[in-house]
Amino acid sequence: MEILESINWAIIAPIVIIQLILMAVAIIDLVKIEKANGPKWVWALVILFINLLGPIIYFIFGRRS
Amino acid sequence: MKQWVTLLKKEMLELARNFKWIWVPLTFILITVKEPLTLYYLPQIIDSLGGLPEGAVIELPVPSAGEALAASLSQLNTIGVLIIVLIAMGSIAGERKSGVAGLILVKPVSYAGFVTAKWTSLMMLIWLSYFLGYFLSWYYVGILFEFIPFVDFLQSFFVYGIWLTLIITIVILFNTFIKSPGAVGFFTIGIIVLLTLLSTSLSHLMEWSPALLSAYTNTFIIGGNFPDELLPSIIVSVIAITISMIASIAIFKRRELA
Repeated sequence: MEILESINWAIIAPIVIIQLILMAVAIIDLVKIEKANGPKWVWALVILFINLLGPIIYFIFGRRS
Repeated sequence: MKQWVTLLKKEMLELARNFKWIWVPLTFILITVKEPLTLYYLPQIIDSLGGLPEGAVIELPVPSAGEALAASLSQLNTIGVLIIVLIAMGSIAGERKSGVAGLILVKPVSYAGFVTAKWTSLMMLIWLSYFLGYFLSWYYVGILFEFIPFVDFLQSFFVYGIWLTLIITIVILFNTFIKSPGAVGFFTIGIIVLLTLLSTSLSHLMEWSPALLSAYTNTFIIGGNFPDELLPSIIVSVIAITISMIASIAIFKRRELA
């Protein structure tokens, strides 16, 4: 647990917040969109559990334009 | 002019509807800011992963501020470029497929206006994201390591931005004559990879190559000086951007009428 204390959270926090915003926007979009490019629940898993890249992959490949 | 503004507004609206104004800047920030952070916390990361024999000491050289910022640029040069190509590859080809382009072009809209409005909207989106990402990365490098002079930051920002502009223009050019968005992306990535490989392996023959702009920016951030070959490669890039732009308008006109 020492390691967690040695990290300066003021520096890390913005990154975590950005990541959360991306995730939230992707989820909101997934809920509102009529039809995604494949089953919706799979995309929800992708967005929530693939760190960093999940929401990006969804925005590029998941939306049917 | 008024018509062009309307076209541009339509492009902006489309980018907003796809949430591109939100996720592209955020993504660029994430991929660039990640680099100085990981470099800074590398010793702790290695510690926490464990698996080292008792008493093993690893001496990691502390990276300089320039190296940390250069690491962010190399992220932009790989993931950033990939994202740019992926979001731009459908901009005309996709609309032609879905029939939107036909709907617009049946009206007395100038072809040049249609293409340049697309290009301008993409440019605004990418430059904004690129600026935010690169600026925040510069700021983080300043906090974690030491501040690089702001003038140096601006210079490297604009020099590397020329390369990104060339990429956007090439994607638009391919968009005008290839019908499938996937193929557009494939060919653009192919050309970029080929250009980068050729010019880095034959760098003494192709000093003027636009693909070397990123290498020149790296030397500048780390060493403090731009190499002499910078000017020719900027000139070649600007010429290439202009030619691709004119060519895409000309090709688009002929393809649509045919």
